[in-house]
Amino acid sequence: MTSYHQITLKVNGETEMVNVPANMTMLVMLREELGLTGVKNGCAAGECGACTVLMNGEPVNSCMVLAAECDGAEIITVEGLSQNGQLIKLQEMLIAKGGVQCGFCTPGMLISAFALLQRNPDPSENEIREALVGNLCRCTGYVRILDAIKASVEK
Amino acid sequence: MAVIDKLPELIGKSPLRIDAQEKVTGAAIYTDDIKFGKNLLYARVKRSPHPHALIKKIDTSKAEALPGVKVIVTGKDYPKRIGLYLKDKSIFAIDRVRFVGEAVAGVAAVNEEIAEKACELIEVEYELLEPVFDPIYGASPDAPLIHPDMGDYEVANFIFPKPGTNISNHFKARKGDVDGAWKDCAAIVEKSFHIPHVQHVPIEPHIAIAKADENGRVTLWASSQSPFAQRNLIAKTLGISESDMRVIAPYVGGGFGCKAGVTMEAMPVAIALKAKGRPVKMRFTREEEFYTNFVRQGLKIKLKVGCDKDGNLLAMENTMYWDGGASTEYGVNITRAGGYSSTGPFDIPNVKTDSICVYTNHPIGGAYRGFGMSELHTGIGQVMDELAEKIGMDKVEFLKRNSIQGGDINVTGMKMHPIGLQECIDKVAKGINWGVKEKASSHSKLRGKGIATSWKAPAMPPNAGSSATIKMNEDGTATVGVGGQEIGQGAFTVAAQIAAATIGLPMEDIRIAGPLDTQYSPYEWQTVASHLTWSMGNAVILATVDARRQILEMVSEAWDEEVDDLDIINGMVISYRSAQEMSLKNIVVYGIPKEDDQGWIGGPVLGRGSFMPSYVTGLDAETGQGPRAVVHYTTGAQGFDIEIDKDTGKIEILKAVTAFDVGRALNPELVKAQMEGGMMQGISSAIFEELILEEGVMRNPSFVDYRIATSMDVPRVMETYFVEEPQDDGPFGARGIGELPMTPSIAALGNAIYDATGIRLEGPPFLPEKVYLAMKDAGILD
Amino acid sequence: MLNPHPGLPEFTYVKPASLDEACGFLVEHAGEARLISGGTDLLVRMRDKAFKPAYVVDIKGLEGTDVLAFDPKSGLKIGAAIPMNRVVAHPDVQKHYPLLAQAAKSVASYQLRNRATIVGNICNASPAGDTLGACLVLGGRLNIYGKDGERFEDLITFFKGPGKTSLQPDEIVTSISFPLPEKYAKGTYLKLGRNKLSDLAIIGVTVYGFPDKMTESGFRFKVALASVAATPLMPPVVETLLSEKEITEDTIQEAANATMEACSPIDDVRGSARYRKEMVRNLTRNAITEVWDQLQSRTKNRLEANR
Repeated sequence: MTSYHQITLKVNGETEMVNVPANMTMLVMLREELGLTGVKNGCAAGECGACTVLMNGEPVNSCMVLAAECDGAEIITVEGLSQNGQLIKLQEMLIAKGGVQCGFCTPGMLISAFALLQRNPDPSENEIREALVGNLCRCTGYVRILDAIKASVEK
Repeated sequence: MAVIDKLPELIGKSPLRIDAQEKVTGAAIYTDDIKFGKNLLYARVKRSPHPHALIKKIDTSKAEALPGVKVIVTGKDYPKRIGLYLKDKSIFAIDRVRFVGEAVAGVAAVNEEIAEKACELIEVEYELLEPVFDPIYGASPDAPLIHPDMGDYEVANFIFPKPGTNISNHFKARKGDVDGAWKDCAAIVEKSFHIPHVQHVPIEPHIAIAKADENGRVTLWASSQSPFAQRNLIAKTLGISESDMRVIAPYVGGGFGCKAGVTMEAMPVAIALKAKGRPVKMRFTREEEFYTNFVRQGLKIKLKVGCDKDGNLLAMENTMYWDGGASTEYGVNITRAGGYSSTGPFDIPNVKTDSICVYTNHPIGGAYRGFGMSELHTGIGQVMDELAEKIGMDKVEFLKRNSIQGGDINVTGMKMHPIGLQECIDKVAKGINWGVKEKASSHSKLRGKGIATSWKAPAMPPNAGSSATIKMNEDGTATVGVGGQEIGQGAFTVAAQIAAATIGLPMEDIRIAGPLDTQYSPYEWQTVASHLTWSMGNAVILATVDARRQILEMVSEAWDEEVDDLDIINGMVISYRSAQEMSLKNIVVYGIPKEDDQGWIGGPVLGRGSFMPSYVTGLDAETGQGPRAVVHYTTGAQGFDIEIDKDTGKIEILKAVTAFDVGRALNPELVKAQMEGGMMQGISSAIFEELILEEGVMRNPSFVDYRIATSMDVPRVMETYFVEEPQDDGPFGARGIGELPMTPSIAALGNAIYDATGIRLEGPPFLPEKVYLAMKDAGILD
Repeated sequence: MLNPHPGLPEFTYVKPASLDEACGFLVEHAGEARLISGGTDLLVRMRDKAFKPAYVVDIKGLEGTDVLAFDPKSGLKIGAAIPMNRVVAHPDVQKHYPLLAQAAKSVASYQLRNRATIVGNICNASPAGDTLGACLVLGGRLNIYGKDGERFEDLITFFKGPGKTSLQPDEIVTSISFPLPEKYAKGTYLKLGRNKLSDLAIIGVTVYGFPDKMTESGFRFKVALASVAATPLMPPVVETLLSEKEITEDTIQEAANATMEACSPIDDVRGSARYRKEMVRNLTRNAITEVWDQLQSRTKNRLEANR
């Protein structure tokens, strides 16, 4: 037995109306109802961070939020970071510094990094590492991702 | 073969990855991102709760009655076994289960929840059998047989199973006279280590979608390192002709070997064959990823090494029992690779190796970055450390004195090619300030340094081939077709870079024909073994040289000039003699018109190249000797400067340094990125990782208790170096790097712990608890 | 959990408009309903098949759950719907209850702390809960609403066992209140994980100390331990020792040893009992020393100032 809920929310600036079952997570709604496959499913348990999106301006693991809880929320996914094909500095630096390998952790990393720079425009090395501790990467060893974030800081 | 005489400008530069933009925007397509419409079915698997049991009865009636269930299959539907080197794996368990988590039935339903519910409704009656959880016990005559019919299994001719036992491969190396050599040794070290199982932990879990049409032709979309191997093996096993099975492999979100060979993909294909044309998607949960598919097998290694009074290695006896798990179709070759590389990168005149692959009722050991080398070197790197100390020699000096060099005859009787190992050791020693005993940062810390070397050869069958195509386009760009997969290592980028450099186009004008599709992509054995840049790279060069020749022959005819006076630079054909020039645009498809409308020259340009080493030989079954066991070895070193907290046992890596001889760094930044990532994965496996197996059950199948390194665990300073001693038949001299940076990590860290504490631990993970209690028991804590 | 659901099992999601409506629902569906605020524990347990609620009741938005306020006369109040990050970032929390901020900051990851709540951490009642120790030593008091109206309970009596609290099926914790902090108090939370950060607590030590003229030592200490017992442990012997004896390096060592003796942790996949006991001693010693050093430097500064 599952209940259904009609929700209205803003995703990457667009207003969406979706009818969701109670047991659908935000992650599944974004990927399957709204076609935003840039948001990745790595564990469905709030541990790996591959599903990180911004909810009302703050990064959350979308696998740990019910779609029904998103009524009235404003969500930004990796697809909403660049505008009109113009990459943000973080994306450019990630490419330039070689911080992308398989790319599966990349969307979540970008959202966490983006949120960090919004709340802390000139973070220390330790603050960057702490902010990313919930985003697991298996390919890069994190080094170039940290470099890319440092390089994105507006001096 | 390095056909080009001078090094093109692009080689040795680091152009940016060609797939980075789509990955940072979220546009890159991975297998779960592909849409299949309302017809899609979802598959879930019923799994064995027992490590070893006979299947008495499977009752699927309740599951079949559940609305929404469309297909249920069991082992009886597909009783043929599958396997890469030894056909011992069942797609679904047939008459018995051999590990906790083994697939017993597969269900496809209209959604995942119903499929899951249906699995819960399937009733299986088991008769428990005595299990085997230890490889040494498993190899003994007392142990129950896990594969009683092993003698009937099809097996590759370089694998030697022992029917009537649990031993699925026994590789022997006998070089010189080990028994006679001990008396000449001034110092001998004898030690055993246990390296537990770990898992690859790709951030993207396994996923595959299969669809069979009414003619029985199958399409498989999979997160796969090996589309061709999967096509070949699955087709053969399910009675489909290879050409009737098509595998499409989009970007892979991390492989590290777990997506090589045949992993879970056979299951959705088996189910789809009964799904009346509907596509069937099977995706693993993270928990399933940890233990139901592939893990890195465990190893119990016993080493005895001896040297003379001057510190020259004289003898090594190496006995390895590999905990292969319930199926060793892949693991038998890991055993073999461990065997023929069993000395590590050392020159030892007398060697006796027994590398034994044993069935156990544990998760299935498969290809894992390093292919046995991390486990092997955990032992080798540490006994060398001990032996150096025993003979009273500086450890780095000991390494350099005994490191194998070009011209030496190695453990299998192969003459070593030139290698830059000495330089690697020097770089690492310098990087961690070796020889200087540095103080700990406080009285509650202990400081230590450790260094270890390693080597690896691509572990492949002797006829593993690569092929490539290059198709010239009207707009003057070129599309390169390869069978090598982009799993994050940069395969597509380096293929484009090699093609651009060879043909004379800027890199932006090269496209890679992806995603891989066995229907269109040229054949590649597998994306494993750190062999892609070398093997696929050679094929790309050959294809590009072929296309170049076609273009230049066409233009030379049009201009009535010699081909040798022509060149292609930046997309223009130019003549060194007459200063003529002509763009590649259009001519590479439409040809060049003859003068006075007298016809046309040329036509669509399509280059092709194929590379397969011709010189790899077999090895004698009793001695492991043969002229050329492998194509080449990559060698290198790694070192750590660490502090251990006396209150908790926690290790902090102050500095991590690694250096490898890559022959030629075609794209230096990509090479360094592999070294950083590999070293970090090595550190993670050394400090945190372990499948905690109790009675065959994994106690920690989630990120909560299977810890991997996070951004906070990265060492304060990481340095990576490459050395270039060119490989005679590598593209521009290149050889592989992908797996290597992980292979010396555990040994180097173990050596650093020893340096700090005087304690040699039995094996990883060097968790804080293990380190602390060892220090406490050794009495070194106040 | 070897074989969790791939997604979440089916359930009915309920968002009541008022506390009375919520409690009424809970009475009607006693035993079948679970409350959700941040959801970071609940959703994991539901996937793991540990919880199988037919109804999930969202308490976000109910009266009193939204408060995050410091009153210089009465203290701090944190609503049940307030994510941990907001608590950590609040200037009054940082100023007056830095121990609470420190404990909350040690939980998981920044993403998880944007959803996880302190009240949720408390109601979950895991012995490993990172904020429980700080809430206990700071004298936390729960504001609870049930079918019979409002009641209050000191946190000290709230925990009954792993996952068990004194909450009745119809009750909802709406907020937690903390009295004004003790004057000149200092505290610290030392957490031992396997990684450098973000792990669960293998053990956790919360130490809170403040000057107290009524004790022999002139100070009073409160100590709470995570992951060493079925509930957070506050060994009385330690507090007694540190109030009766003059505080020196030896007293601190004695207190650390007594703490170790007072707890009986278990072996589990995260750590052995033996290691846990050793760590309790070492980290308690370090935590008390850290707090003591801070208390002393204040004393020293006062003495300097008074010269």
